[in-house]
Amino acid sequence: MAIVKRVQTKTVDSDERSRPRDLAGLVVNLEAPNATARRWAVRDLAQFSEAVPALVERLEIETDATVREAIFMTLTEIGDATAVQGLVKCLRSEEAALRNEAIEAMKHLPDAVAPIMAGLLADPVPDVRIFAVNILESLRHPDVEKWLIEVISEDSQVNVCATAVDLLGEVGTEAAIGQLEALKRRFADEPYILFAADLALRRIGEA
Amino acid sequence: MEETHITTEDFMKFREFFYRKTGIQFEDSKRYFVDKRLVERIEATDSGNFRTYFTLLRFQSGGEELQALTNTMTVNETYFFREEYQFKCLVNSLLPEIVKKKPVDSTLRIWSIPSSSGEEPYSIALYLTEYWPDIAHRDVELISSDIDTSILKKARAGKYSERSVQHLPAVLLQRHFRRTHDGEYQISDDLRQAVEFSRVNLSEPADTRHYRGFDVIFCRNLLIYFDDLSRQKAAEAFYDALNPGGYICLGHAESMSRITSLFRVRKFPEAIVYQKPEAR
Repeated sequence: MAIVKRVQTKTVDSDERSRPRDLAGLVVNLEAPNATARRWAVRDLAQFSEAVPALVERLEIETDATVREAIFMTLTEIGDATAVQGLVKCLRSEEAALRNEAIEAMKHLPDAVAPIMAGLLADPVPDVRIFAVNILESLRHPDVEKWLIEVISEDSQVNVCATAVDLLGEVGTEAAIGQLEALKRRFADEPYILFAADLALRRIGEA
Repeated sequence: MEETHITTEDFMKFREFFYRKTGIQFEDSKRYFVDKRLVERIEATDSGNFRTYFTLLRFQSGGEELQALTNTMTVNETYFFREEYQFKCLVNSLLPEIVKKKPVDSTLRIWSIPSSSGEEPYSIALYLTEYWPDIAHRDVELISSDIDTSILKKARAGKYSERSVQHLPAVLLQRHFRRTHDGEYQISDDLRQAVEFSRVNLSEPADTRHYRGFDVIFCRNLLIYFDDLSRQKAAEAFYDALNPGGYICLGHAESMSRITSLFRVRKFPEAIVYQKPEAR
């Protein structure tokens, strides 16, 4: 026995790809009993933006973590407005894992997320506004600081402001100083806000 | 011209951001190293000061500067037996676990990516040959891939500088290499023929979909150079390429847990590796 060479690499098992690999066949395979078959269908659907509704629908009932992760990956790869709407739907889920995965996926889609960010930051549900700030944490977009300043200026919910001020400690510039001072006055009885705003001000001042 | 200066607050801000993006944590003792490279990149990008540079780093849509900075913050060099503890882990812990589960007449499959100029796959071949007694009665298939066809050509040629082989024990160097007239080291034909080299782009599903049924994957010091999305795509490709219960070894500064929850962390005496869960 030894280190051996084989000319061909192992091929995909035929039973995992038994159905036609067109859009309709792949969507049917999203219901396959075998998780590996579902996962492959999800991965191959990345080339079909029309598959977004079926993928989002599957996300709501999919229990296998590996398939779910592939769905988020595929939605991110498709990355259009419909995909983002599907991800926004997940932000309202009761399931924390689903919400977190949606936040992570949306961080990769600055161009598709930017047009709806103002709406998310004004959502009536405070948790959704916090998740929107969480998305800003790694969103590569020039308006991130502007959005954060708007949050600390206007949002009445202390937890939303606390999340935003934490991030301003990292990305804030002189443009945020006035509103950070105003935030301290508005939440003068909230020790955490005072601490986080002072830290952000110190960092801006020393930068 | 005014000298660029990194304040303590700049350093703290950068450290938090860089950790979140790459998983690389710089202790206070690394301050000089970090500052020096930041200043280099601030000057290279004509940013003028840390604040402007940090804005570029955070918000540049393509993320090219973050990539350039990551490249300068990590050391990119390869040589035989680099991060040898993982090869020890392979022969002392991973393979003994795998052979217990696989029929004796089945072939074990190892994938090393990126091959670079071949030091890693040949190190694995050397380790199996020299330090894994079971090689006497098991077949192992060793495949190594890279995106760069010119580096694959170099890997297939198997000719190395003195620096590349400096960490090899003298006895192995003597046994498996021949000194060439230009002072380099030519690896033996037996070892050259033990590794199958192929071109693969990890971010391209059409390239990776046929790579299946591996028991161990080595992918060290590559993902650090990828952006977040490419890293996740690579993790998906590795998941599909591994057999249930198969292992993936990353570089010492890399963590699969930061990329995906698809794999389990396994702590062995020699190294931490990631395992695809067994089939349910």
